[in-house]
Amino acid sequence: MNNAIEVKDVVKKFKRGKRLRKREIFAVDKASFDIREGELFGLLGPNGAGKTTLVRCIATLLIPNDGSIKILGKDIFEHSLYCRKQIGLLTSGERTLYWKLSARENLKFFAALYGLDNKERDKRIDYLIELLDLKDVQNERVEKYSSGMKQKISLARALMHDPKVLLLDEPTLGLDPQFSRFLRDFIKNTLNRKQKKTILLTTHYMDEADELCQRIAFINRGKIVDCKTPYEYKRDLPHSEVLDLRCTGIQNSDALLKRLKSINTVETVTLNTTDGITNVKMILPRAEPMLSDLIELIRQTGKILAIDVKQPTLEDVFIYVTGTRLTENTAEFTPQGEQN
Amino acid sequence: MFWHSFITKTKHYGRAIWYENMKEWRIELTYKPDFIRGMIDPLVYAMPYLLYGIALVGGRTSETLKGLVGTDDLITFVTLGYIFVGFINMALWAMGWSLRKEQFWGTLESVFVAPVPRWVFALGMALHSTLHQGLMIFLQIIVINLIFKLTIAPSGILPSLLVVGLMLIALYGFGMMVASLTLIFKQGWLVSEALSGIMMIITPIAYPLAVLPLFMQKAAMFLPTTYGVMTVRHFLIGEQMGFTVWTAFSRLVVLGVVWVAVGIMIFEIIDRRTRRTGTISHY
Amino acid sequence: MSFKNDLRIVWAEFKKSVKIWISYPIMLVFWAIAPFMWVLPFIFQGKALVGGLSSAAFKELTGSPHYLPFVLIGAMVSTYIFSGLWGVGNSLREETYWGTLEYIIVSPTNPIVVLLGKTLAEFVYATVNVTMQALVATFFLGLDLTLAKIFPVFVIVLLLLIGFYGFAIAFAGFTLLIKEAHGWVHTLEWVFYLFSPIRYPVEVSTITKTLSAVIPLTYALVAIRGIILLNKNILHLGKTILILIIMDIILLITGYLTFRYLERKTKEAGTLAQY
Repeated sequence: MNNAIEVKDVVKKFKRGKRLRKREIFAVDKASFDIREGELFGLLGPNGAGKTTLVRCIATLLIPNDGSIKILGKDIFEHSLYCRKQIGLLTSGERTLYWKLSARENLKFFAALYGLDNKERDKRIDYLIELLDLKDVQNERVEKYSSGMKQKISLARALMHDPKVLLLDEPTLGLDPQFSRFLRDFIKNTLNRKQKKTILLTTHYMDEADELCQRIAFINRGKIVDCKTPYEYKRDLPHSEVLDLRCTGIQNSDALLKRLKSINTVETVTLNTTDGITNVKMILPRAEPMLSDLIELIRQTGKILAIDVKQPTLEDVFIYVTGTRLTENTAEFTPQGEQN
Repeated sequence: MFWHSFITKTKHYGRAIWYENMKEWRIELTYKPDFIRGMIDPLVYAMPYLLYGIALVGGRTSETLKGLVGTDDLITFVTLGYIFVGFINMALWAMGWSLRKEQFWGTLESVFVAPVPRWVFALGMALHSTLHQGLMIFLQIIVINLIFKLTIAPSGILPSLLVVGLMLIALYGFGMMVASLTLIFKQGWLVSEALSGIMMIITPIAYPLAVLPLFMQKAAMFLPTTYGVMTVRHFLIGEQMGFTVWTAFSRLVVLGVVWVAVGIMIFEIIDRRTRRTGTISHY
Repeated sequence: MSFKNDLRIVWAEFKKSVKIWISYPIMLVFWAIAPFMWVLPFIFQGKALVGGLSSAAFKELTGSPHYLPFVLIGAMVSTYIFSGLWGVGNSLREETYWGTLEYIIVSPTNPIVVLLGKTLAEFVYATVNVTMQALVATFFLGLDLTLAKIFPVFVIVLLLLIGFYGFAIAFAGFTLLIKEAHGWVHTLEWVFYLFSPIRYPVEVSTITKTLSAVIPLTYALVAIRGIILLNKNILHLGKTILILIIMDIILLITGYLTFRYLERKTKEAGTLAQY
């Protein structure tokens, strides 16, 4: 099978800070991966990991400092117009449409930019409006819609020219659960399975990636850390159990972390405290023989509220591979332009 | 094969330009009071200059003006000059702010990711700005004519339109330059404000070129609006210019080429720059 | 809330506004120079139409044949009032952009107090600008602005501004309700340009002369020009001062009431945070 997207050694640096304190930050650091035609490929990483920057590079909106990107075998900068014709872009955030125009008017405008003639356009808009169930509201101004509806129209715009490749950048961010559900089903069943579109999906929701994607690349601090199927990730995790502890009253969490890390059989530990409740997560071969020792250790500094032993999820794998939680914000790596 | 692809492309780009223009009209017309106000503004704008002129000479004719340019009707002279304020505003504000506006709405990226070259988009904004300004100017002339009765030579209208057309090409280049500059300057409106201030002083709008200090007269020779306003008044009310009609035409052609080239170049440079620094979605 | 507390809020708001300006030094330069950008065309137009710097027809209308100082005074006074209209009128709108307006309205403060702080800041800002303009006008364009004339002129300006700020506060309320008020400021600007003697003597046409009588700015401008150009004594301007004081009272009261009314309306409509 051919590759639909080829990303090779892409580097994107941004300058941050003012004058003398200016420093370079690698938003994307030598990222490489290929996406096969018809594949639903996920890019999973915490906020600020470089996902959006990478998608913008692929969409020709950013020029990388180094590396090459090909879409359907053609270099995106040498064949910029051709490549832009092949991709549909959907980003998160509400302000990507003309709020003063109706859904239909927005779509008509973008259809002209994508070179559709009137007949084609009307057919396509009717089809998309039907498909996304926008019939009742198509002539109302976008400003009157809910966030979910706006995202539907943005999606219709991305599909306007029936592109072979879709770039979906955090498409469910900020949407209500019911609508997120709809969008996920739509992406997986309609766009990928039925319409055979190649999809690059970025997300920091672990279940979204796990549920939708055939292959997932982990991205952390600009680097692609690993790239496999969700099954392979879980299978290859050498340690099969996750121990989850919730405690209160931990005074010196750094010291505790150090102690836990020093235990031989514990592979990875993360510890974070919110509202006085400390969450300790450990990945280890088998939890049960360790329990009594661990309980004793923690009881020296605080009180245990709950203990849970689980099978690893994709998030645990991510923590294991990168040492970073998906909910963390690594925004120091976000380019200036993405902070709004 | 070549012709087929050429025709397809022309059709595609032509439609994109037209829809860009129509989209702007639609958005403008959603808030009608603003639209109407925008149409009336230039009328009110010209009025103090006309009334000030009358106050200075105690009527609508000035002997001094006649000595300078060969016509004494200050009302027609100033009104024709004021049309060009509209053109300056078109380049510096309407066209100059079109990209920034899209950036603010959040739609600039969606537009730039579409498979059309950036110049198509620029032409779309130019088309809309010209039509919009044309409508405003038309209203302005009608109303001022109703109040003051302008006297012009009808035979001069056609060549005047030709001059304006040539001048507009140069102004489009200017507009493209400003449009891209507003993307990188946080207080881009100062760029527009300063440039429009300078252009409005140096272009001989409400007065003949001869009353300007010499350095300003020299600077005026680099502005397309100078040739535009003087030649149009020459055709319509017989303004005596310091140069021939052919000089005006040929210089307008040169200025058009230069400004469009500069406009495209700066547009390209800034487009690359914003794509390098990642500030395209930033406002 | 006590009066002392209100004063503290005015002061805090004042300091905040000043700090924000200082972060845009280029604005200061802009306001100092920009008004001259439109003064120059009037000077050139004058030269083109009458040859020299004085005109007999102009004297008949204004009492002084010199059109240059006439235009300069108009420029400075209009800077005062328009920066007030933009500054105060648009200040709440600015807070909506920053996303801070709701926090101001939700705090246990009368928003008028916050607006007063903004107004005070705006006044200081405009004074700095106009002083810079006056220096340029005096030293480079030969405006005869002796120290003895500055005090009475300032009294008139102050009387003009008090009423004007009342109006601007009402306008600020208007911006809460109508989001795109920006355009209306422009229109107002032009109404003043057209129907008050900022740029030309309104006496030139009976229509403009009649309409200008309802705009307080007209009286203030005639009085200020009288002091500077015709060496009139402020004591002879009793009638003008009385008119300005009456207008101040009316505008302050209606400004306040209008703002309160529009603020309530906005809360009812629930459109506070929208933009």
